[in-house]
Amino acid sequence: MRDGTSTTHGAAVALTALEKRYDSVAAVAGVSLDIRSGEFLTLLGPSGSGKTTTLMMIAGFEMPTAGDIAIDGQSVVGLPPYKRNIGMVFQNYALFPHLTVTDNIGFPLKQRGVSRAERSKLVGEALDLVHLPGYGNRYPRQLSGGQQQRVALARAIVFQPRLLLMDEPLGALDKQLRENLQLEMRRLHADLGITFIYVTHDQEEALTMSDRIAVMNEGKVAQVGRPEELYDRPASRFVAGFIGESNFLPAVVRDVDGETVVADCQGAVVRGLCRKPPDSGQSIVLSTRPERMRFADEERSDSASNRLRVTVSEAVFAGERCRYLLRTADGTSIVLKEPSSATVRRRSVGEQAEVAWPVADTILV
Amino acid sequence: MRTPRSLSRLGRRTTLGLLGASAGAGLTAPFIRPSFAEPAWPEQTTIPDILKGSGEVRIATFGGTMQETQQKAYFEPFEKISGIKVRAFPGSDPTKIKAMVETGNVEWDLAQLSRGSIMNLQKRGDYFEKIDYDLVDAGVDKAYRFEYGLEMLVWAQVLGYRTDAFKGAKPSGWADFWDTKKFPGDRAMYGTGSGGWPELEFALLAAGVPADKLYPLDLEKGFASYDKIKKDIVKWWDTGAVPVQMLTDREVTMTTVWNGRMAALQAAGVPAAISWSQGLLKRDAWGIPKGAKNKLNAQKFVAYSTMAIPQARVSLGIPYGSVNDASNEYIPPERLEILPSAPKIKAQLVTYNYDWWIDNRDTVVNRFNKWLLG
Amino acid sequence: MIPLLLAAPLLLYMLVFYALPVLAMLLKGFGEQHWTLAHYASLADDPVFLKTFWNTLSTAALVTLGTLLLGYPVALALVRTRGVTAAIILVVILLPFWTSVLVRSYAWMVLMGRHGLINEALLAAGLIERPLRILNTSLATVIAMIHILLPYMILPIANALRQIDPSLARAASGLGASPFQAFRQVVLPLSVPGVAAGVLLVFVLSLGFYITPAMVGGPRDITLSMLIAQQVDQLNWAYAACLSTVLLATSLALIAAFQRLPGIGNAFRMNTR
Repeated sequence: MRDGTSTTHGAAVALTALEKRYDSVAAVAGVSLDIRSGEFLTLLGPSGSGKTTTLMMIAGFEMPTAGDIAIDGQSVVGLPPYKRNIGMVFQNYALFPHLTVTDNIGFPLKQRGVSRAERSKLVGEALDLVHLPGYGNRYPRQLSGGQQQRVALARAIVFQPRLLLMDEPLGALDKQLRENLQLEMRRLHADLGITFIYVTHDQEEALTMSDRIAVMNEGKVAQVGRPEELYDRPASRFVAGFIGESNFLPAVVRDVDGETVVADCQGAVVRGLCRKPPDSGQSIVLSTRPERMRFADEERSDSASNRLRVTVSEAVFAGERCRYLLRTADGTSIVLKEPSSATVRRRSVGEQAEVAWPVADTILV
Repeated sequence: MRTPRSLSRLGRRTTLGLLGASAGAGLTAPFIRPSFAEPAWPEQTTIPDILKGSGEVRIATFGGTMQETQQKAYFEPFEKISGIKVRAFPGSDPTKIKAMVETGNVEWDLAQLSRGSIMNLQKRGDYFEKIDYDLVDAGVDKAYRFEYGLEMLVWAQVLGYRTDAFKGAKPSGWADFWDTKKFPGDRAMYGTGSGGWPELEFALLAAGVPADKLYPLDLEKGFASYDKIKKDIVKWWDTGAVPVQMLTDREVTMTTVWNGRMAALQAAGVPAAISWSQGLLKRDAWGIPKGAKNKLNAQKFVAYSTMAIPQARVSLGIPYGSVNDASNEYIPPERLEILPSAPKIKAQLVTYNYDWWIDNRDTVVNRFNKWLLG
Repeated sequence: MIPLLLAAPLLLYMLVFYALPVLAMLLKGFGEQHWTLAHYASLADDPVFLKTFWNTLSTAALVTLGTLLLGYPVALALVRTRGVTAAIILVVILLPFWTSVLVRSYAWMVLMGRHGLINEALLAAGLIERPLRILNTSLATVIAMIHILLPYMILPIANALRQIDPSLARAASGLGASPFQAFRQVVLPLSVPGVAAGVLLVFVLSLGFYITPAMVGGPRDITLSMLIAQQVDQLNWAYAACLSTVLLATSLALIAAFQRLPGIGNAFRMNTR
């Protein structure tokens, strides 16, 4: 597996207008997505957004109501799960309680008729890969949650599938363990070179691990992109709100200049970036991240920044940074995060201030 | 208005289905409900003052239709005429009496049993009161009297067969029962299931032993005779409902059966008949459990119930015979004809020897078990 | 202390109405008047007891096997269906529970009799020339007992199947196991505790059967319970107590043995993960 001679390459997965309806309710309402060979793609969304159903349709546990799933160009709709040759890690690990770790990991090999000797060798390698050598004779109930997760991972990759599906695999683990395993999964992904499709509702996990993230909402893909694209250029208010924290400022369009929109906001003129130019006079919402804002009382205004006058209504010291809740003249709440430093004056509640932030970090959503 | 005609219609009034009746009646009850609509049974209008009293008497019966008949035949009349209340309990059983007497918790004052079960228990200890024969009616023959009980019902264990099974040929006696060539078909006989006693008499009669030389029973000869019929016996029945059920369902063409059950079967329209020849004449008996609270009332009831009219009333309700010679005056001839106590029938029957069985039952039952399973 | 107090009413009840009578019965086996081991000693070469005991055990074994083979697929169907279908299956399974043994036995007599429905159907179909003897044979006993005891096999198995995490079957399928392989390697071994419970229940209940073999069984099908009833009626209470003790001891030994069986003990523990 890890030897350089491996010819394994990741599968390319194409979802085309994929739909799943239960009676009249659509769990997945038309998802089209191209997942590239060797990519780590995360389906991210709140519960009920259709991400798990999409994954189950790729695995073959759910039949699509409409649309197509192709792996390397071949449609797999209609193929039962056991003929799809896809690795899968379940939310609750789904280890077989009556089998030892060795037999659990050897299970997919046994189904494929791999000889006992070969099985033993491959299982040993897989155990090494997930850092559990010597655990082969234990039963799942004798392992910690993290160890069980590693066994599930080993079992899902031991038969060298070209696609690995993971359904919230770290959901049941504590934060520390989760972070360790996130790193390990990245490493495994890099080592194996196969395609990972990962489902989570944890945006931080998605941002940390993924090559690309598909944000799902109400059965549809809201936005697909690299983590920083989603963070810096959210395409919708939903994405801006779901990934990270965002301030939303209502404004009225005064002018559009190429990709830049100029708008009236709280008596000031602010500028932001837009994908599609809005009409003049239209009411819009501009979003920006709290950590991209700063107090700018002493600064001179410049054309690269927007500015607003605010009143401090709450100030919270949180170690590495300070978090301020601010109010604009018309009462809109704004959150500002400032790196903490002994050299920076802390603002107090009730204080008047002026905040500034870069035009490049202002997005029309 | 009692007329012979209305009595002869007894059968047609029993309309309950066979299966339903047998299931509903449970394991001990007689098979078919007789009609109680027959008016004007003979009435006992006076009794000696010595049979009168107060309080109550608790009587254990075999339940079912028999108890219903007894209720009308002599429980209710006794209450009215004697002033003693009768409370009847189904489920009379010598094992219960054994337990009651041993624990000192005697819940029955009188129980319907048989001379055999009474004496068999009495052999193991003192479980019954002696009967006060000063009270008992003179019409009760000596043959029915014994120290710890008084026989109160005469019935017969007979050969029952399906009349449609042998092209009109009528089996008579146990040699015919044993002859499966002449009378083809499966058989059923009484087994030892629920305290039953094997029908060794029939085996010996089939082997040609004359009726008057039957007792003491010759075990060797009896079991040798049993050997010949063993493979044709599909069921060793243990409750009275089974043989009639098997005749009805055509599971057997011939079976041993209690005569009262056969009357009900015929009444229900099943083509079946009794061969009285070489049947066994048996009796039920009253026994008073030792230490019964109302034993004086029990003695009075024993005396009353064996008087001519109460006995005749039972025979009118259910085709079993009377122990009182005077009862026949109160029973119409066509009814008398089907009772085992009728002279013409009684002459064909062999009187069951309880005394022999009391002495030999354990031996015979154990041997029977071994023979059956061997 | 408090848990003991909470259980005290039941313990007292069990002591008075169960433990004491059982003890009294055990003592009776040593003789009604004098202490003796004769009754127990005689069992070893008592042909009636040995044959009856063997009848009882072999009937119980056949009935257990029959209920297992017929019940397992039904338990699977019960667990794998939903809604109205599942409700109907459950009702059909439980129906025998709500019918008295006596009525059911009569129903079997109607079905299996010489001129019963089965024979009439076979005759009408020309498959047989003369009615078969089904009723009043050991086969009839086994068939009727299987019918009566099926729920006791199906319900524990269904319960065990229901406790199997459904994602395990999915995992097996996703890992390349065909439905049969998944059943054979995952579902079946995980249902072993239910199977063991069902087998134990049916076998032990079979040991005590009395009315059914008496009503539909063959002329020589005497079970231990029938022999006990017979001996009680014949007033041989010491012998009957002795036989009852054997029956009780057999049941207890079976229960103890089942809990010690390595595979099953293991399976029991696994379910309490």
